[in-house]
Amino acid sequence: MTHRADFRGGREAGTTRPLALFFLSATAIVLAAGTLLYAQSERGDYTQRNLGSLAQPVVPAPTDDAKYSIGSYPLYWPELEAGEGKGLVTGYCNTCHSPRFVLMQPPLTRDQWAAEVGKMVKTFGLDIPESDQAIVIKYLAEHYSPETRKK
Amino acid sequence: MPGISRRKLLETLSAGAGALALGRFAEAAGAQQMHASDRLPPFTGPGANPYWSSVGPVATYPQKYPLILLTDRPVQLETPQHYFLSPFTPNGAFYVRWHLDEIPTTVDLAEWRLEVTGNVEKPLRFRFSELLSRFPSSSVAAVNQCSGNSRSRLQPRVPGGQWGNGAMGNAMWTGVRLAELLRAAGVKPGSLQVQFQGMDRGKGPAGHGSNAFLKSLDLSNPVIEECLVAYEMNGEPLPLLNGFPVRLVVPGYFATYWVKALTDIRVLDKTDENFWMKSAYRIPDTPRGATTPDDVKAGTVKMIPIGRMPVRSFFAAPEADAKVPLGMSVALRGIAFSGHGRVTRVDVSEDDGKTWAPAQLGQEYGAYSFRTWEFSWKPQRRGPHTLAVRATDEKGNVQSDEPVWNPGGYLWNRIERQQIMAGAAQ
Repeated sequence: MTHRADFRGGREAGTTRPLALFFLSATAIVLAAGTLLYAQSERGDYTQRNLGSLAQPVVPAPTDDAKYSIGSYPLYWPELEAGEGKGLVTGYCNTCHSPRFVLMQPPLTRDQWAAEVGKMVKTFGLDIPESDQAIVIKYLAEHYSPETRKK
Repeated sequence: MPGISRRKLLETLSAGAGALALGRFAEAAGAQQMHASDRLPPFTGPGANPYWSSVGPVATYPQKYPLILLTDRPVQLETPQHYFLSPFTPNGAFYVRWHLDEIPTTVDLAEWRLEVTGNVEKPLRFRFSELLSRFPSSSVAAVNQCSGNSRSRLQPRVPGGQWGNGAMGNAMWTGVRLAELLRAAGVKPGSLQVQFQGMDRGKGPAGHGSNAFLKSLDLSNPVIEECLVAYEMNGEPLPLLNGFPVRLVVPGYFATYWVKALTDIRVLDKTDENFWMKSAYRIPDTPRGATTPDDVKAGTVKMIPIGRMPVRSFFAAPEADAKVPLGMSVALRGIAFSGHGRVTRVDVSEDDGKTWAPAQLGQEYGAYSFRTWEFSWKPQRRGPHTLAVRATDEKGNVQSDEPVWNPGGYLWNRIERQQIMAGAAQ
């Protein structure tokens, strides 16, 4: 109340008050109606999506010797697409790296997959018969190329 | 009242334009009708990755905050965008990239030794405690960035670690100067390179890149004098995933040379021909290391080992999901760095790179550190805004708006953009 009095200051209170009251109540009515018609916000919306959660790891108690250890690194094994050759892909590729290396790639063409397999054989020394190479390349192109990749 | 109807018309039109632009927004994010409770699609491509980060899940690792998982064996983890609000990246948030899967899980300092061998007068073996006590310590703030940082931006896409922008970090590194160790051992005349090897090993046959990770620097390279064998990272021991107990620090250079869990320093009297020098981490000998798939196929591209990092700058905040009510100011914030020297200028554009205005630079921590920047921006209209940031270094290198392509997916440093939505405030 004192605020309002201060605000009106030197104005002619007699003429402005009814007008102000009118506008105030008009605004209030519009606001009230608006609240009924349009919600100001939405609340309490939950949905079952299973985004996944992260477990907190144990932090092992350190010892006072010269050993600095973190135990073992966790694996997050991904599921490759079902199909002929999946077992060979998992078996050969998993020698040096987990199948996540396959899933991390953008969709690659058959030629690009063939080049990747070639690199594993020629430069990294993967021991794999040519017949198996063909199956591995076919599988990768059939499931992880721009035309075929789904997930 | 014509005034009101004209305003209404304008509002309707701008809302329409906004809706169109919003469609582009969603398309750019590869996400149509998606909610925060939906899972991000697990891959991007064959177009460029539109997100700031790579799209893998967030995962928990020892001594690490939850980070973005690229691969689990060997381990590759990306640092999320918000950690780049500060000039120094916390050790727990620092990205991780190993090449081979047999990486240390226990280091026994009773057994551990750092050896300086090869073409030297006096081969040396140091205990960890000797590194701490026998040599003066030096510190440098330096950015460690993966050669393939932002690889997922390339068009056409190339195989390899599909990093977003978070394969980088800045730390205050403390340790022994490499040059001191080399002087103590006495480099023999006729030596050409110094080779580095860490504790990591792979399952591949001996002599192949899949067996051991080896990197070398020319002894004539002035950076040798700036290198550290670091036992401290931001005032703490290094996390095992970042190279405990010591790693090489090569200020200004891409991280491929920063060998982790370093155990061997070998002076060579010939050029290192191992896979990791001769075949991997090589870039076209062209401006910005750019070439084309056709030129590579034609075999006309001369390739050289990767070296210093080109100038870059990034938005750390606000992130891509930002919606700001009209009338509010937004603090645009981020970091910039260059492997060629100090960042002297960062400019921000509010119109997709057409016009630029200088940002305020934060404290300087040396030529090789992140430098923070800030820019207070007030959107003048509703709808999506495409902001851009561009850094300049002391050598006059300025970020370009041209993309980069090379077969390894290295050296990406195109001007970064960030979209921000200005919403109605009433």
